[in-house]
Amino acid sequence: MGAMRSLIATVVVVTAAWLGGLAAAAAQPDAAQSQKVLSNWYTLMLALVRHTPTYSPPVASRSFAYVGVTVFEIVASGSGDLTSLAGQLHGLKAVPQREAGKTYDDAMALEAALAFAAENFFGNTGPTGQRAMAALKAKLSADVMAGLSPDIASRSQAYGQAVAAHILAWSRSDGGAVITNLGFPTQYQLIAGPAHWVPTNLIALQQTPLLPDWGKNRTFVLPTNTTCSLPPPPAYSEDKTSEFYKQALEIVEMKRNLTPDQRTIARVWADDAMLSTTPPGHWISIVLQIFERDKTSLETRAEILARLGVGLADAFIGCWQTKYQYDLVRPISYIRRVFDPAWDPALSTPPFPEYPSGHSTQSGVAATVLTKLLGDHFAFEDATYLKEGLKPRAYASFWAAADEAAVSRLYGGIHFRAAIERGLDQGRCIGAFVNALRTRR
Amino acid sequence: MRLVFLGLVLAAVSCSPSFAAETTPLIPSFADETASAGIDSVYAGEWQYMVGGGVATFDCNGDGFPDMLLAGGASKAKFYRNISTKGGALKFKAETSGLELDAVTGAYPIDIDSDGVTDLVLLRVGENVVMRGLGGCRFERANELWSFDGGDGWSTAMAATFEHGASWPTIAIGNYINRKEEIAPWGTCTDNWLHRPDSKAEAKFAAPLPLKPSFCALSMLFTDWNKSGTPSLRVSNDREYYEGGQEQLWHIDANQPPALYTEKEGWRPLRIWGMGIASYDLNADGYPDYFLTSMADNKLQTLAAPPTGGQPAQPVFKDVAFAKGVTAHRPFTGTDLRPSTGWHAQFADVNNDGLADLFIAKGNVAKMPDFATKDPNNLLLQTGSGTFEEVADKAGVASTATSRGAALVDFNLDGLLDLVVVNRWETAQLWRNTTAHAGHWVEVKLQQPGANRDAIGAWLEVKRGTTFMRREITVGGGHASGQSGWWHFGLGDAPQAEIRALWPDGTSTDWQKADANGFYVLERGKPLQAWAAK
Repeated sequence: MGAMRSLIATVVVVTAAWLGGLAAAAAQPDAAQSQKVLSNWYTLMLALVRHTPTYSPPVASRSFAYVGVTVFEIVASGSGDLTSLAGQLHGLKAVPQREAGKTYDDAMALEAALAFAAENFFGNTGPTGQRAMAALKAKLSADVMAGLSPDIASRSQAYGQAVAAHILAWSRSDGGAVITNLGFPTQYQLIAGPAHWVPTNLIALQQTPLLPDWGKNRTFVLPTNTTCSLPPPPAYSEDKTSEFYKQALEIVEMKRNLTPDQRTIARVWADDAMLSTTPPGHWISIVLQIFERDKTSLETRAEILARLGVGLADAFIGCWQTKYQYDLVRPISYIRRVFDPAWDPALSTPPFPEYPSGHSTQSGVAATVLTKLLGDHFAFEDATYLKEGLKPRAYASFWAAADEAAVSRLYGGIHFRAAIERGLDQGRCIGAFVNALRTRR
Repeated sequence: MRLVFLGLVLAAVSCSPSFAAETTPLIPSFADETASAGIDSVYAGEWQYMVGGGVATFDCNGDGFPDMLLAGGASKAKFYRNISTKGGALKFKAETSGLELDAVTGAYPIDIDSDGVTDLVLLRVGENVVMRGLGGCRFERANELWSFDGGDGWSTAMAATFEHGASWPTIAIGNYINRKEEIAPWGTCTDNWLHRPDSKAEAKFAAPLPLKPSFCALSMLFTDWNKSGTPSLRVSNDREYYEGGQEQLWHIDANQPPALYTEKEGWRPLRIWGMGIASYDLNADGYPDYFLTSMADNKLQTLAAPPTGGQPAQPVFKDVAFAKGVTAHRPFTGTDLRPSTGWHAQFADVNNDGLADLFIAKGNVAKMPDFATKDPNNLLLQTGSGTFEEVADKAGVASTATSRGAALVDFNLDGLLDLVVVNRWETAQLWRNTTAHAGHWVEVKLQQPGANRDAIGAWLEVKRGTTFMRREITVGGGHASGQSGWWHFGLGDAPQAEIRALWPDGTSTDWQKADANGFYVLERGKPLQAWAAK
């Protein structure tokens, strides 16, 4: 397979030369080095998300989106199959291209770009993260540099940095570039009334909700922030015959009768901020595992990381817009008020409004996007939290995983069923826009 | 007669400062005497010294005045002999004591060999070292003499106890991440070690026992959380580095392997950036409460359901930090209002009103953008209602240096607790408590004949009027900082106190009367003895 890939790549280079140098050439036809660079940086970025408080799920999704586009643009500019996303993503203007007739090394360009992107999109990390980034940069640079002519190396490096800088400049105007106070506003007026969100824990910082203005950020693909809005949740009621009451009762009974497997599912998809790779990081982790298992081509990796990245980011923008539109109370608040003042959910309740479920929306997007790219019945195994003591789980399809991620919030007692089901609907809607992007020539 | 008595009481109240019954506590005053006292020590070094930075206070020449050792990180630790006079300005003299090792992250005093001379455990990046006190503030390495395996870790926490029947202490050492791992250090927490006495040899430690799993401990404390008579080991862990970790509580029962408390026993997972433990029985329910420092939040844990009918306590704690006003989650003053980073914490009564107050050392790990760079230390005064009020700025100790370890200790034996704080990359700071009209006080030292001279694991109880104050005698906790010597209690306006000890074996002394504003030695089997500086 590796030999075949080399052969194909060689043919491409030869063809390019034969075409009179109209296209830039790749110095190393084997993409293994590029894949190694990609894999190492993404693995580190997932660790930085886990270990840096800035990167709550919405913020992490934004970072992964810009890094994914950076990777894609670099790979696309050296590929005969891929085409730029400039002009397709809101505000993304023409990305620097390779100089015609010159030779570039994809791995070096990616290394330079990813080092730059990591420093900027995950730069809020502490001394250990900074040390790790510096160490990885030094190691990968040295590995990639080995055997490469200095002029190709420096040209590729400059090119990678130029693309990354272009993407960074684009990112700065989207409304999500600056995160203060870990995303919790120091001033916030709660909306009065029993239907509305109230703090759900005794952490002082979380007495205001996370990132209330995130839904106003510039979208990547969605025409507007409200394009995939949802109808209102079931009307708030404490009447035992009401739909709202019934959905709360379902959570109470679910908790009471939770099976070991349901408890495991809740834990596997908990993806708590500051304790995990977060929900968007979980899906990034899944595709990284698939890449390694299937020896996925560099072009497809780049395409998936870009599409999944912008899809997840738009999921959080759209979802957050809806969350703060309805500002719905969390199950823990309602159940303690109506059923049992001592009730606790199986999972920690995230500190922001309930409807819809963010994990459901973004998993719906992920399933929509990945199914389009990799197929309907694409089986895979997820070992994201193996080191946390959670065994790998097998899925028959992306939708099987997304459905499980969504319902995990019911098992965990942090979302009503409506937020879960409609969150998946919202994900399908957003995912369809992502699927309409053109990434292949 | 009755009217006269009432009149006297009113007069006493009107002349005295604010004490426990009132809701507004007396704000203490502190004077920075760092330079004039001769303190010039920096906790230096880069990545490997981002945690640690402790101070040990102990009397090593028998004059009753606490001397101290300040960790230097990449620089050598500095020993300072206390040459203050009673009630005078703070004065120290840097001397060569044998403790001046490099790579020291923290230090805890403990009389390991029960010879009446304080020894020290030095935590280091590299080999930990036990230092045997020789008297006259001279120390010598004793790893070989006592068969103490110092390892080659990144040690960041320590706690000690004397297990039942043991004449030699058990020392727990908390270790941090694998410092040699650069690209992927997360999830590389190295094993904490339990150094128990060697059952086959006198005055020796056995080979260390790994406490598996270990989750990057930054503070440990042997504490009898359930008043069972057998201390357990509380470990506060840094979630930044562990995978699948949480706070821990270990059963450490004599002649039994260590065993973690489990969810079946009631233990509930808590994941914080655990950095320091302070304990005190704040609510006088007979059980210690625990303050746990972290980032952007701090916890104050109290037993959720203290047993009332003699049944065993469940290790279920509720967090009352928010209700008590001690979340201290962001700077309370200044313009840098990003979330805080808490390190050393200590309960002590700084205004002698009879209520334990809380000091928290604060400081960014190292330019972490999410967290405050100018992060003032906290001094939270307990009010009569049990809540706390921030007064660090008014008291003069709201330093925004990058603080780590600390100690509230009476350096000049005037009954007022002074303060020393170790800072990363900056000079340690020393403040003298100059509070006027503070309340009365007593300071007590416990002693036992034979092993465990300083009665680690005992409870010291002081009664002022009808109010009980209880302190567990521990070695450990805080952040890389330990103390030995006088145990201080504020008495408010009480002219007298009653004192008793519950010794580690469960026996107790009778209540013994003590006049306020004095030092006392309570030796097992002997009447309470007043002590005065020579």
